[in-house]
Amino acid sequence: MGSPQHVSHVRASSSASTDVDGGGLNGAQDNLLPIANVGRIMKDVLPPQAKISKHAKETIQECATEFVGFVTGEASERCRQERRKTINGDDICHAMRNLGLDHYADAMRGYLRRYRESEEVAAALNNNSGREIQIDVRDELSIFRSNEQRQGRN
Amino acid sequence: MRQARPYSGMFCGGVSARTGPHALPLARIKKIMKRSAGEAAAGDGGARMISGEAPVVFSKACELFIAELTRRAWAATLEGKRRTVHREDVADAVRNTDLFDFLVDVVTNDND
Repeated sequence: MGSPQHVSHVRASSSASTDVDGGGLNGAQDNLLPIANVGRIMKDVLPPQAKISKHAKETIQECATEFVGFVTGEASERCRQERRKTINGDDICHAMRNLGLDHYADAMRGYLRRYRESEEVAAALNNNSGREIQIDVRDELSIFRSNEQRQGRN
Repeated sequence: MRQARPYSGMFCGGVSARTGPHALPLARIKKIMKRSAGEAAAGDGGARMISGEAPVVFSKACELFIAELTRRAWAATLEGKRRTVHREDVADAVRNTDLFDFLVDVVTNDND
C-alpha cells in the first residue's frame, strides 16, 4: 500500500516498512496506537451484537493517537514555560484541564494518585527483599473474603 | 475471577504497577508523546523528557477516551438503525461533541 495522500499529521511519518496486516489505510505503522488494542477496547464498551467497520476502527485509532499528541503538546508547552525538562503525570492532568477535558483531568488525578501509591508500596517491598517480608495475613484474608461476597457471579 | 492488582503485586514481592498489564502499550505511547513534545518544543530546541508515569496515565486516559468516542459513535449508529459502526458515525460523534473539536481535521481528512 502506498503512502496516504491526505494531510493529517498523524500519518505524516508513514514509513516504507511492509504492510504486515495486509490491508487497511493505516497498514503496520508504529506512529499510531496499535489497532488491535483499540479494537479490543471498543468491543468491550459495545453490546455483543454490535459490529465495527475497519474504517471506523482506524478512525478511532487516529483520534486516540491525536488525543495523546494534543494533550502532550500542551503539557510540553507548560514545561517549557516553567523551564522544566520532564513531562510528568501532573503536567498531563493540567494540560487536560487547560484543553477543556475536565472530566479526564479529574479521573486521571485520582488514577495518578493511586498509581504513585502503588509504586511506593512496590519500592518499599523491593527494598525489603533482603529481609523477611512481614504481611499481616489477617488483613489479606479479610480483603479476599469481602471480594468473594462482592462477586455474585464468577 | 480477577484478583485486585495491587494485592497480587504485594504477594509477588513488589511487582510495580508500571509493568502491570495496560490496555495500550507504554512504549508506543511514549513514542507518540516524544513526537508531539518535540514539535511543541521546537522553539527552545529541546526535546522534552518523559517521566515513567506519563505513558501510564495516557494508557488509562486513552482507554476512557476510546470508550467515550465509541459509545457516542454507537449512538449515531443506532440512530441510523444499523448494527455496524461506520466511520461516518465516528465523524458525527466528533462533530456533535464540543470537547472533540480538536479531532475535526482527523475525521474529515480521511479519504475514501
